[in-house]
Amino acid sequence: MEPQSYARMPRVKIRELRDDYARFELRDTDASIANALRRVMIAEVPTIAIDLVEIEVNSSVLNDEFIAHRLGLIPLTSDRAMSMRFSRDCDACDGDGQCEFCSVEFHLMAVCRNDETQDVTSSDLISSDHTVVPVDFSDATIDASSDGISGNKKGGITIVKLRKGQEVKLRAIARKGIGKDHAKWSPAATVTFMYEPEIHINEDLMESLTLEEKKEWVESSPTPVFDIDPVTQQVMVVDAEAYTYDDEVIKKAEAMGKPGLVEINAKQDSFIFTVETTGAIKASQLLLNAIEILKQKLDAVRTSLDTVEADDQFGELGAHMRGG
Amino acid sequence: MIPSLPKLVLPGPPEILTVLLDGCIVGGIPSSEVEKVVAHIRRLKVSSPAVIPDDLEVGYVPLSMGGAYPGLYLSTSPSRFVRPVRNISLPSDGSENIELIGPFEQVFMEIKCPDGGDGGRKSSFPATHEEIHPTVMLSVVANLTPWSDHNQSPRNMYQCQMAKQTMAFSSQAIQHRADQKLYHLQTPQSPIVRTGSYSKYDMEDAMILNKSSVERGMFHGQIYQTETIDLTEMGGKSRKSGLTPRMFRRSNVNKFGSALDADGLPHVGQLIRPDEPYCSIYNSERNSVQTLRKKGTEPVYVDYVAVDVKNKKDLQKVNIRFRQPRNPIIGDKFSSRHGQKGVCSQLWPDIDMPFSGTTGMRPDLIINPHAFPSRMTIAMLLESVAAKGGSLHGEFVDATPFRGSVKKNNEESESKSGSLVDDLGDMLRKKGFNYHGLEVLYSGVYGTELTCEIFIGPVYYQRLRHMVSDKYQVRSTGTTDQLTKQPIKGRKRGGGVRFGEMERDSLLAHGAAYLLHDRLHTCSDYHIADVCSICGSLLTTVFIQQQKRPVRQIGGLPPGRAPKKVTCHACQTSKGMEAVAMPYVFRYLATELAAMNIKLTLKLSNQAGA
Repeated sequence: MEPQSYARMPRVKIRELRDDYARFELRDTDASIANALRRVMIAEVPTIAIDLVEIEVNSSVLNDEFIAHRLGLIPLTSDRAMSMRFSRDCDACDGDGQCEFCSVEFHLMAVCRNDETQDVTSSDLISSDHTVVPVDFSDATIDASSDGISGNKKGGITIVKLRKGQEVKLRAIARKGIGKDHAKWSPAATVTFMYEPEIHINEDLMESLTLEEKKEWVESSPTPVFDIDPVTQQVMVVDAEAYTYDDEVIKKAEAMGKPGLVEINAKQDSFIFTVETTGAIKASQLLLNAIEILKQKLDAVRTSLDTVEADDQFGELGAHMRGG
Repeated sequence: MIPSLPKLVLPGPPEILTVLLDGCIVGGIPSSEVEKVVAHIRRLKVSSPAVIPDDLEVGYVPLSMGGAYPGLYLSTSPSRFVRPVRNISLPSDGSENIELIGPFEQVFMEIKCPDGGDGGRKSSFPATHEEIHPTVMLSVVANLTPWSDHNQSPRNMYQCQMAKQTMAFSSQAIQHRADQKLYHLQTPQSPIVRTGSYSKYDMEDAMILNKSSVERGMFHGQIYQTETIDLTEMGGKSRKSGLTPRMFRRSNVNKFGSALDADGLPHVGQLIRPDEPYCSIYNSERNSVQTLRKKGTEPVYVDYVAVDVKNKKDLQKVNIRFRQPRNPIIGDKFSSRHGQKGVCSQLWPDIDMPFSGTTGMRPDLIINPHAFPSRMTIAMLLESVAAKGGSLHGEFVDATPFRGSVKKNNEESESKSGSLVDDLGDMLRKKGFNYHGLEVLYSGVYGTELTCEIFIGPVYYQRLRHMVSDKYQVRSTGTTDQLTKQPIKGRKRGGGVRFGEMERDSLLAHGAAYLLHDRLHTCSDYHIADVCSICGSLLTTVFIQQQKRPVRQIGGLPPGRAPKKVTCHACQTSKGMEAVAMPYVFRYLATELAAMNIKLTLKLSNQAGA
């Protein structure tokens, strides 16, 4: 008898895609996969971030550790990160972490010679590798001079502000790392998913309400999920995904003495993801890298000796994990 | 006898009251007139073109039985305490009539609380002044608690104590200061707080911090410490400055030569570990070099070295400021502004934290809901809801206590529903959030919906200066007390942790006799004493040195120890000598008793129960 395959074929449908933002649907899989994907995106997709700082001169108001910490948090363009080596298992430099295969060197030299306060920003960092540079957030569509809020015209992230005569001079080494080790290596600003809601309105019960009651019930949802058709005066679902599982409408229906007015269930196999990146890698790339890493992790489980040994325990599942 | 002088009767109370200006008598006023005069002076004080100083203190002490000596005491001197109150005895023609009053006059004045009532005053003593706001009855620290009128009062008291222990951005000029010890918070901020038991790591006022938030800089801080080295004060006798044989210089033959600079002082930015030298002093008289070593258990950075160049010739005094990074670790103490302190029990990874499906937010900090029912700090919940609404709308929320008590002047804000919670709930509702600040969260570990709604919102948290790195204490062996041979106390000296009576009781209750014996005896002042079983004395034993006799060597074994011969000095024999294990303090007790002419005898027996 052919062993039954448990494999499902998850589908991804992209709804919105920008450089640093993605919204997509993930269907035909369950919460474990969805959450694994979320966790990998936040904590295990590698990026490059400054990890080692040698300070030569620092007469600024911030102390050395503070500046080093701020440098570490600057997102660097990390498209190369997947192919780069971790400095701990780099053969070229014996884990020294200062060779071209596993590190990128930055220099920062800033002296303030004017009476005005000078901002030292991430754009003042000089990289030894043109593919790894601080992320440029300056939006070409917005005129920098008209933007009064950001203040600095150069764009970039302020590292420290200098007064006349103050100086910062340092060498920084950026390395590949993952968000699990330190939050500075996390490529994701936010990764979240929600279960797709399934909303069934009990039409018969709904018709027993007056228009006033219907309005009151529709208003009870803090988010615009329901609305009343101006023509037929029927309650309809306008935006099911706006529902936050707050149960407000259900409580309201019960308070009105009409339990079962609406039935809302979370679909257990479809998820709506929202991904926002720090700019280190593109949102689309983040998803692809995350899937790649998830695969690698599963491969590690599949090929590990423990798995073979644990075959007796897992039985069918073990065979499944090894591609049976 | 007829006096040579005509009778001079000073006019005095009760007819005439003396008037003093800054402590000097300037005249007198009939007591029937004085009230009018006082009222007039007060009117002049608040009048817009100031004729008299507006901080003039009009201390009118009225006639009374057994009270303070009556009179009118006027003070104009500078630097007196004053505070503003509203003068309501004057006709309010648009102006607020704010009068500055001092502590002396205020006890004789009638000042009412602006809550619309009369404070129980009789109509014969109408209030002439009114406080600006009901909160002036609170101190500055007490005023920092939002909506403290919604809290149980002891919690507000706790908060007032705790506010003084917070770390803060205390000075803009830290670079130029030389404080003995200064706690500094790098980035003061307010985290998002969740209540709800997510793991068991938030039991009993413990709290979980988000590891990623900490890594991004939350609650980072430093301790600045300054060491002052004054060569003129060193070496006991104070010589005239400039004549000391000591100077700051590095030793030429020092293995730590590279760590310090040639002038014997550390480099700025240098890391100094415990017991490493941070300063080296050369004594030209003795031709010796002395190094000062860093005490403590944690490495520090040299933040600043300031030299005192009062005498230009040679340098005698330096201030070295050290900086100790103190980022949050397990065991550090935090508190909200409602007397809700707690200790960080875990730095939890971001991915394991629960998250909101709509916004994707993860909490920075998790506390246990059991912190609320018994303590009744409702204001903390209000703060959370208000801060959530405020941050959604991008505005600050006024959390002044006793706002409801303020007299409604023009009845303008009556249209609102009145209840504070309703105002706050509406703010959240407008932005599509739950009315009561609840949210549905998903487990960060499993990705499934958590079965309860969770109260989440921003609450201002303070970092308190009590940190584990200043408190942790461990010891295996170490220094012991000279007299009792027990471990010494004190963290600084590497002493032991006290195993007190209550700890003893708990071990007894568990029947853990061996452990008890280990703690109280073996690891403490274990001692084998020689006791004479004939006379029972512990103190009359005398060692007799054996003559050195070649001990027969047994092949492969270490040379056997020559048995020590012990005799009892009183009995003049070594027959009854027995070795008995006992705490050393027992021997000490025996000697102390002997000093008081009390003999302590031991009866030795082999039977256990004898």
